[in-house]
Order: sequence, then C-alpha cells, then structure tokens
Amino acid sequence: MQTIHLTIVLAPLLAAIVAGLFGKQIGRAGAHWLTILAVGLSFVLSMVVLKDIYWDGGAVENYSVYTWAVSDGLRMEVGFLIDRLTALMMVVVTFVSFMVHIYTIGYMHDDPGYQRFFSYISLFTFSMLMLVMSNNFLQLFFGWEAVGLVSYLLIGFWFKRESAIFANLKAFLVNRVGDFGFILGIAAIVMFTNSLDYMTVFGAAGDIARQDIAVFGGSPWNAMSVICILLFIGAMGKSAQAPLHVWLPDSMEGPTPISALIHAATMVTAGIFMVARMSPLFELSETALAVVLVIGSITAFFMGLLGIVQNDIKRVVAYSTLSQLGYMTVALGASAYGAAIFHLMTHAFFKALLFLAAGSVIIAMHHEQDIRKMGGIRKYMPITYWTSLVGSLALIGFPGFAGFFSKDALIEAVRHSHWEGQGAVYWIAYLSVLLGVFVTALYSFRMFFLVFHGKERMDEHTRSHIHETPAVVTVPLVLLAIPSAVIGWFTIGPVLFGDFFGPSIFVLPGHDVLAELGAEFHGSAQFLAHSFTAGPAFYLAAAGVLVAWFLYLKRPDLPEAIANRMSGLYTLLDRKYYFDELWINGFAAGGRRLGRFLWTRGDELIIDGVLVNGTANSVGRLAGTLRHLQTGYLYHYAFAMIIALTLFLGWLLWLQ
Amino acid sequence: MTISDFLPAAPEISLLCSICAVLLIDLFISDEKRVVTFWLALVALLLNIWVVVVSAPPDPTTIFDGSYIYDPLSQVLKVAATAVVALGFFYARDYLRQVGMLKGEFFVLGLFGLLGIMIMISAGSLLTMYLGLETLSLALYALVAFDRESPQAAESAMKYFVLGAIASGALLYGISWIYGVTGSLKFAEISQSIAVRPELNDVPLWFGMAFLVVGIAFKFGAVPFHMWLPDVYQGARSPVTLYIASAPKLAALALILRVLVDGLEGLHGVWQGMVMVIAVLSLVIGNVVAIAQSNIKRMLGYSAIAHVGFILLAVFAGSEAGYAASLFYTLTYVIMAAGAFGMVLLLSRQGFEAEAIADFKGLNARSPWFALMMLFFMFGMAGVPPWVGFFAKLNVINVVLDAGFPGLAILMVLASVVGAYYYLRVVWYMYFERAEDKSVFQAGRDTRALLSLNGLAVLALGIAPGWLLALCLAVIG
Amino acid sequence: MFQAILFYTFAAVLIGAAMGVIFSRNPVHAVMFLVLAFFQSSLLWLLAEAEFLAIVLILVYVGAVMVLFLFVVMMIDINVERVQGGLVRYAPLGLVIAGLMVVELVQLIWARSRFEVATGGFAATPEGYSNTEALGAILYTEHVYAFEIAAVILLLAIVAAISLTMRKREGLKVQNITSQVAARAKDRVRVVKMEAEKRQ
Repeated sequence: MQTIHLTIVLAPLLAAIVAGLFGKQIGRAGAHWLTILAVGLSFVLSMVVLKDIYWDGGAVENYSVYTWAVSDGLRMEVGFLIDRLTALMMVVVTFVSFMVHIYTIGYMHDDPGYQRFFSYISLFTFSMLMLVMSNNFLQLFFGWEAVGLVSYLLIGFWFKRESAIFANLKAFLVNRVGDFGFILGIAAIVMFTNSLDYMTVFGAAGDIARQDIAVFGGSPWNAMSVICILLFIGAMGKSAQAPLHVWLPDSMEGPTPISALIHAATMVTAGIFMVARMSPLFELSETALAVVLVIGSITAFFMGLLGIVQNDIKRVVAYSTLSQLGYMTVALGASAYGAAIFHLMTHAFFKALLFLAAGSVIIAMHHEQDIRKMGGIRKYMPITYWTSLVGSLALIGFPGFAGFFSKDALIEAVRHSHWEGQGAVYWIAYLSVLLGVFVTALYSFRMFFLVFHGKERMDEHTRSHIHETPAVVTVPLVLLAIPSAVIGWFTIGPVLFGDFFGPSIFVLPGHDVLAELGAEFHGSAQFLAHSFTAGPAFYLAAAGVLVAWFLYLKRPDLPEAIANRMSGLYTLLDRKYYFDELWINGFAAGGRRLGRFLWTRGDELIIDGVLVNGTANSVGRLAGTLRHLQTGYLYHYAFAMIIALTLFLGWLLWLQ
Repeated sequence: MTISDFLPAAPEISLLCSICAVLLIDLFISDEKRVVTFWLALVALLLNIWVVVVSAPPDPTTIFDGSYIYDPLSQVLKVAATAVVALGFFYARDYLRQVGMLKGEFFVLGLFGLLGIMIMISAGSLLTMYLGLETLSLALYALVAFDRESPQAAESAMKYFVLGAIASGALLYGISWIYGVTGSLKFAEISQSIAVRPELNDVPLWFGMAFLVVGIAFKFGAVPFHMWLPDVYQGARSPVTLYIASAPKLAALALILRVLVDGLEGLHGVWQGMVMVIAVLSLVIGNVVAIAQSNIKRMLGYSAIAHVGFILLAVFAGSEAGYAASLFYTLTYVIMAAGAFGMVLLLSRQGFEAEAIADFKGLNARSPWFALMMLFFMFGMAGVPPWVGFFAKLNVINVVLDAGFPGLAILMVLASVVGAYYYLRVVWYMYFERAEDKSVFQAGRDTRALLSLNGLAVLALGIAPGWLLALCLAVIG
Repeated sequence: MFQAILFYTFAAVLIGAAMGVIFSRNPVHAVMFLVLAFFQSSLLWLLAEAEFLAIVLILVYVGAVMVLFLFVVMMIDINVERVQGGLVRYAPLGLVIAGLMVVELVQLIWARSRFEVATGGFAATPEGYSNTEALGAILYTEHVYAFEIAAVILLLAIVAAISLTMRKREGLKVQNITSQVAARAKDRVRVVKMEAEKRQ
C-alpha cells in the first residue's frame, strides 16, 4: 500500500519534471500523454485506496516515509496519513485534475507554452496530493505553499499580459497575509507540543485548550483559540474568505482549465480541508468556531451578491465560487465538517463543470468573455448548453442534483447548530445561507440566460464561427456533468450520515448537528421530499430562477433601470465593496509608504549609513591602526612575546 | 625487544630512509633534469602514505618506553600532512622551474620538515615533541631562507629563527618545570601523576604549563606570539609560504592536543583561560588587521592567525566534541590554505610574483574556471555555506556554546563577518575589476587538475561533511 | 654552609657575567663574558653533583661554540653604538617587565618551598652513584628514540647549512683547474703577421 501511496504522489511529480525540463525533446503530444497518463494512474490508484479503505475496511495508515531533519527533538518528516477523509480528497483531486488535463489539450491547443502548462498542472496535482496526504504540519505547509506557488505561476501563465502579472502578484501577496497567520499557528502548535505530527498534536489538544497565551499587551487568550484562529487566517487566504478574497476574481486571468482545477475545485478548498482535518483542535475552541461561522456567512452572502453585477463570464463563476466556499466555511463553523467536505466534493464536480463549460463558450466565442456580447448560443453548442444547465442546477441546489443534497444538508446543519451563547452569530449564519440560496439562483441563471438564451448580441463575424467545441473539451464536460447530477443522490447517505469519516473528523457530542440530522435521515428520496416542506430553501432557489428569467429574458430593459434607480447600491457592488481600493490604496500603498520611509530613513541612513558603513569604516580605521603594531623590528616582536609571557605568569600567580 | 616492536614507528623510519635516498640520488642529477627529484620526493610521499596505512597496528600502541604513540589520531594527521605536503610540492614545481629555483634541497628540506611533523604527531613525551618541533623548525628556517638572493627572505628567516629560538627556550624551560614537578616527560605519566596527586596542581606546575602554552602559541602563530607569521609569509618565496601555511598547522594541532589535552588535561581549568585570551586576541587582531593588507600572502597570513583563533577556541571548549571540531577545522583549513596559495603560485611566473591582491583583478576574464576555484577557497575560508569552512566554523561555535560561552560564540560570528570582508574583496577583484595582466598560466596540466580537485574538494566536503566529522569524532574518542 | 657560600658566589658572578654580555660595548668582551657565564653555570652544576653535564658544558660551549662565536664576531664588523641605541629608549618598559618577572620568580620560589614541604623533595643520591653512567644508561635505552631524532636533526642541519651557503655567485674569480690545464697556447695568444706600416 505504501508503494501505491508513493506512486500516487510521485507520478505527477515525475511527469511534471519531465514535461517541464524536457518539454522540447518530448514534444507537445509527448507532454500531454505523459502527464495525462501520470495523473490517470494517480486517479486509478486513488480509487484503489478509497476502495480499500472504505469498502474493504482497510486500516487507517499513518506512517513516515522520510525523516528530513531532527532538530532539538523536533522531527521534520515526510509522511502520509491515509484515512477516509484523505482518500476522498485524493479521488476528488485526481479526478478533476485528470479531466482538466484532457480538457487542456483542446483549450491550450494553439498556445506556445503548451508543455509548460502541462508541467505546471501536473506539479499542482503533486503539491495538492502532498497537502491532503500529509501526516504532519510541515508537509502540510509545504503542500500549502507549493499549491500557492503553482497557482501564482499559472495565474501569470500569460506573463506578457499586464493584467495577468498584476493578478498573480495580487494573489501571491494576499496569500502571504493568510500564510503568515498559518505559519504563526503552526509555530504556536510547535511551541505548545514540540511536535509537528498530527496525531501527537491532536493527542495534546486537551492540554493546549487548558492553557492561556498572552497575545496583546499580556491579556490572556485561550491558547487553542489563538492557534485555531491563526490557522483559520491561513485558510481564509487560501480559500478566499472575506476580506482576503480579493485575489480569487482576479485569478481568472489565468487559463480557464486552471480556473476550474485550482481556483474552483481543489486548491481553494485546501483551507476547508485543513480546517476539517484540524477538527480535533477547532472543536475545542468555540470562539474560533464562531469566527469561522461569521466569516463564512459574510463571504457566502455578500460575495454572491457581487456575482449579480459581473459581466465577465468567468468572474461570475468566480464569485459564485467565493460564495460556495463561504457555504463550506459556514458548515465548518457549525461543526458540520462532514457537510463541508461533502459540499466540497459536489462543488468540485459542478464548479469544475461550470468553469470548463464557460471555457468551452469562450473558445467558441474566440476568447470573448463578456456575457453582454453573447446570447442565444444554445443552438450552436448543444452539449455545452446541456452540461451547463446541469452545472447550474447543481449549483443552485435544484432538488435531485448533487448541489441540492450538499447545500440542503448544510443549511439544515446550520439551522440545527444552536448552542449556547451564540444567538446573534447563529442568526447571521442562518439568514446568510438562506438568502444566499436566492442570490445563487439569481446570478447563476442570469448568466445562463444571458449566455445561452435571448438575443444573439455578438457581432456577425463571431457568430458565423460559433460551433460546438471538439471532443477533448466536451467529453470532460459530460464526464463531469454525470457526477454533478447524480453523485449527491448516491453519496449523501453513506458520506454524510453513514459515519463515513469515522475518526478522521472529531466532533464534540454537543456539537454534532450531523448526527441530529442523521437521526431524521431515511434515504435520499425521503430527503428530497422533505426539502419541499422543511424550509424555504427550495422556494428561495425557485424564486431566484424566476427573477432571473423575468429580468433577463422577459424584461431585459429592467436591470439597467434598476441599476440606475439604485445607483448607490449598484456602484457599491460594482466596485466590489471597495475591497480592492482598501487593499491596494489602503494597505498596499500604506505599506509602500512605510517601506519607502524605512528604506530611506531606516535602511539607508541608519543601517547603511551608521551601522554598516559606520562599522566598516571604524573597523577599517582600527585595522589601519593595529597594523602599525607590526613594526618589522625583531626586538619589538621578541619584547611583545616576553611581555605577554610575563603578564600570563602574573595572571596565573596572582589571579588564579 | 625485536625489530617488530619498532613496527609502529615504520612511517618515520621509512621516511628517513626515503629522505636519505632522495638526498643521495639528487647528487647525481643534473640541473636540467632536476624535476626527477620532484618525482622522487613524490614517490617518497606516496610510499609514506602507504606505510602509514599498512603499518598501523590494530590498537593504539606506545613504543620506545612511551616516547612514541600510535593512535588513530596520529594516523589521520600523518596521512593528511603527507598529502598536503605532496600537494604543496606539486604546486611549487612549475613555479620553481620558471624562476630557476628548482633545487633538490627544497624537496629534501620539505621532506625533513614532514619528518618533524610526523615525529610531533606521534610524540609520547615532551622530549620527543620538542625534538620533532626542532626538526620541523630547522627545516622551515632553512626553507624560508631558501632564496639566497632575496634580502626579504633572509630578513624574515632571521626573525623566524631568533623568535623561534626564544619560543623553543620557553618551551624547554616549561618542560623542565613540568619534569621537576611530576618527575616524568611522558604525557601519560604526567597526566597520571596529576590525577593521583592533586597537590601537584599548584603554581610550579602552572608556571611550566604557561611556558608550554607560549611555545604552542608561537608555533600556531597566535596573538601575541604571532609577530613572525606575517613577515615570514610575505618574505618567504610563495612555495615555502604554502608549505609553512599548511602541514605545520597539523603539527601544531598535534602539539596542543598531546601536551595540553593528553598531558595536562588535569590543568584544564588553568590553561583554559590562557588559551581563551590568546584565541580571542588572534580572532580579533587576525581578522581586523587582515583588512588593511594589500599583499595577498600577508593577508592570508593574518587570516591564518584568525583561523588559529577558531582552532584554539575549539580546544578551549575542552570537550571531545571540541577536540574533534578543532581537528575538523584544522584539516579543512589546511586544504583551503594549500589551495589558496596554490592559486598564488599559479598566477606567478618568472619575474612576476602575484603577491598583491590587485594581481587577482579580472581573473574571471582570464580564466573563469580558476577564478571559480579561487572563489571556492575564499568562500570556504570566509565560512560561506555550503563550502566546508562554514561547517568548520559552525562546529566550533556549537561546541563553544555547549561549553556555556555564548559571548564567545557571538564574538566568533562577528569576527567571521569582519573576516568575510577581505575574502570577498578578492572575489570582487576577480569578478568585477578589469584585468591588468593578460598572460596565460604556465602550470602543467597535472597541477591544474590537482588545483581544481582541491577547489572542488572544498565544496564537496561542505556539501557532505558528515563522514569527515564522524571520522574526527571517532579518532578523538 | 660552605656549599651555600659557594653557591651564592657562583650565582652572583653568573648574573654579573650575564649582565656583562648585554652591557659591554665591545662584542669580543661580550663573548668573553659569556664564556665566564658558562664557567659559572658549569660550577653550579658541579655543586648539584652533575659532573658530566658540567664538563660537557665546558667542552662543547666554551671549547667549540664560543670559539666559533669569537671568529664570527671578529670577522664581521658590528656597529655597537647603533645596536645599543635602543637600550636607553626601551629601558623604562624593560625595567618594569624585568621587575615584574623578578617578583614573579620570587613568588614562585616561595611557592616551591611550600610545595616541597608537601612532596618531600628529592632523595639524596646513593654512594658510588655515577652521574655519567646513569645518563648513558638512560640515553641509550629509554631515550633512544629521542637520541636518534637528535642525530636526524644534525643531518638536517648539515643539509640546511650546505644548501644555504653553497652557491654559485656571479663575478667570483675562482680557479677552474680543468680549464687551466687544458688551455693551450693558441687559445691564449694569437700571433698576427702584418706589414710594417710606413712612417708618415
């Protein structure tokens, strides 16, 4: 089994190295065959691992592969922890990655950086697998940073575009903010436990929770809360939670397969995965859980709103991703880790599908991304149309589709999660996820209608060339559409309520909302039927679709009128709540001003001028003086020796 | 006593025979074919390494009533010293031929010096140690004065000789006190009697010890007994400087380890203070004054003083790890010093001594490869990771920290930073200044290959220092 | 008591002679003072029952080394005035150091006496004890290795001395016997026949 684990990880790495370094030698076909086979192998083996651990009842494996360094008792290792959570993530990651690899053949067909692209996405697969399979914080951090690096490289893949460079720098910097919190969290863990190993740390969780740590000015904080909030700040950066979300929409500058793979299905969910993995820690801090809940709800609702006013097809999907990540985070905050991971899985399928479908549209439209210049292309691209419909229905949680099961379970979990001292937080969360359903339906179908229905608003030249995309594009769409449609039905029982995760996720008995839900769960069909009566979620979604239909198909003149009437609100949304301004003109500019000040005053004047050059000059002067001790006269030398000897003797005689 | 009882001393015996053979054969070689003597000397050295390796008894042994010690430490030091002398002969050969000084005496004196070094390394008594030291010193005095046409060489030889005589006097006086107090010259017996009779640990013994420390410090060239060193490094011809700068440091290490550690371990608390003062002064003065030098041989001389500070501090720490660190430091330093002076020799030729640091200007344009090698030596000495000098320094800093002297560790780091300046200046000259001299090197292909190997070794040992560290720890333990 | 008087006399003369070596302006006098100092040391050794060393000191140092010194000193012309110029200049510091050294040595002797009480000092030599025989016995057994090394040092000294002094200097007018013998008249004298020139 260890060989299999290693192969799963190393096959993409090897392919990435070969495709990256010898891309010229192996050619375009060589590069895509090699990487696709490698990732395909990883996928198949991941399935084997999942089968072994779930159906065959294989044991959880937790072992160290290689000890990198031992420093002061702190073991730094490369190791794998393979339990059901890991296995599920591995399958999701490798499957989506596999699909994206195939799709890329069509999407990047004419790109000169073909081999480089395949090398990057294989490298990404490797990094992501390292992240999810890790059994220690160091490797987690390695994977965390490695996926960030590949994301950075891929957002700026078209590095000749000014906007791409801006976007990847932005992504990089915003992630640094999150990573700073993350590494502080890891450092705090090491401080308390002197270990990086998950199991050791989880074992010591109770002790940590009983300790206090002085953070600001000596006021004591619960150590576990501090650790969890710091870790969560890392998750906020990676999983684009407000206010560290600003990089994700801009990351759409990267090629679409990347948007699907990294910025929808896998990397951005790393934060969700991490929090779920750290559930034994988060459970012990209600403060941290409340923070998670609030941040998640804000993201879920307010980012969804932004999706309504976006006109770039990919940005709409991007904001929807933000909103869905917010949903997952809410589930985490409600201790419904299983629901979060479940939604993560279904989301990976349908969001990848939506992105790839958007990419398919973009290919057909000759890389036009503005939905105001599309419309009515349903008849040109039937496969893309139907798969997009499946994706959109899954996204809005239309009963029966994958997203329905996960989102509905999630909302139910939030509704049940009312424990003491959490009144306001609970209502914020619950209202956000409910209203979010309406918003999701609205922006999803706004885009859907604008792209596929209505008037054909593109120019003549483009229209004459629209046709269905080739099989390498449509086959992944179909392959992703199938799970998007049905996976919820089949897996909600076993994954969500069947104690699928077992010991890999730890929930305090009082927090276990999923168990409460599970008690009422009697099969998928019943769950489906129940949704029409249990809450307003379904009706909100239906209302969203209706409103979208009314505004964008029935009365296309209305949206503009509304925007004009409510120009204040519209501008607020259009400027994305001014977050970019806050970060760029506020923090970044302030940081630059501070940097400039420190540079000219601190660095150049004090450090360079006084400390460095000053010291160097004094040392130089000292050298100039001391060299005169060496007079060249023999008797001076001899005299110096005698004096030194005499002084030493005196020291021994009188001072010892 | 049979002849096989002398077997542990086979290296010294066979080396003496080789020297006599080289000396005799050299008489019958005409000046044009003098390079034959070089090859003979090389054969003698290789033979010596072979004998050192094969004649080693399975366990540490003493013979001649304890005057001679064989232990793994001696074996390592002897092989290293022989190898480094061979390296020095190689680098010297082309230079000596070009300046018309290829004489048999150079090699014979060099071999005699090696004999002295080996005697010191295996010395089991103060008397043997002293005689080995004199053998080495006498050879060195003659080597420094080897260029009879050069007044600087004569002057520096004179200084070296007179100061060396004073240091020998101090050493002998100290030996007589130690003998008077403990009744023995043998390290084992001295250490034994100090252990058995603690009342011996008193002022008279300390007095003798202080004189011994002075002699040791002089041999190392540690401040304030260092005055001879820069003058001799500069005054002697470059091949001789190379010789003085390399193998005798191993002998000095043997001297301090045998005398202060094997013999006077019981007085550790007393000599520790002296060694610390000497080491700190060496570290500071060596590094600071090196900055003000424009002659590269003199600069390397001061740098040697600074490195000695590190070696002494490792001994000062007084633990087995410390002694191993000093051994590691000395071994690696000797390799780097041989290489650096090898570069000086490579650049020199008839009528042109590459003695100014400025002579390295633009070396990169002339020969990128050897500029890189010089960079290796300089980075190695400066202690830039991953070159081996870094690990050597790190070890010493570690053992000093373990001994509980964080202040000293900080001082070492600061001194290294200051030291980096003058090493980097050489690198700066090589890479960022325009060459004034465009001539091609005249060294043979074998010499160049050896010099390249030497440079690569400095890097390779830095990348994989583990085995050498383990070896040092094993032979000290 | 008598021994003590002798000891202090010899010691005082020894110190006086040593001072003479340093302070005499004539180098030949300095060498003679050194000879005197050696004699006194040799006498001190005799007092300490080390006859062999006493005799060897006279034989080697006075008989050989000092005579050589005298030759050297008389052959080269040393400017004494210039050498001694530094004496006054460094006298204050020198005196301080010397004073310090004296204090230290006195303290050491005091410490040594305390020390001897602790250790009991050395035993007296037995009757019929031969210093020379004892030295010889130990030199060729226990210290044979050191003895051999000393021989090597002598060999090395010869090599060093020869390599430093044997040289072919340019411009030296040395006889080359072989070429002198091999020389023939026609190599040296050329007989030129020429017409007698006319008186002008």
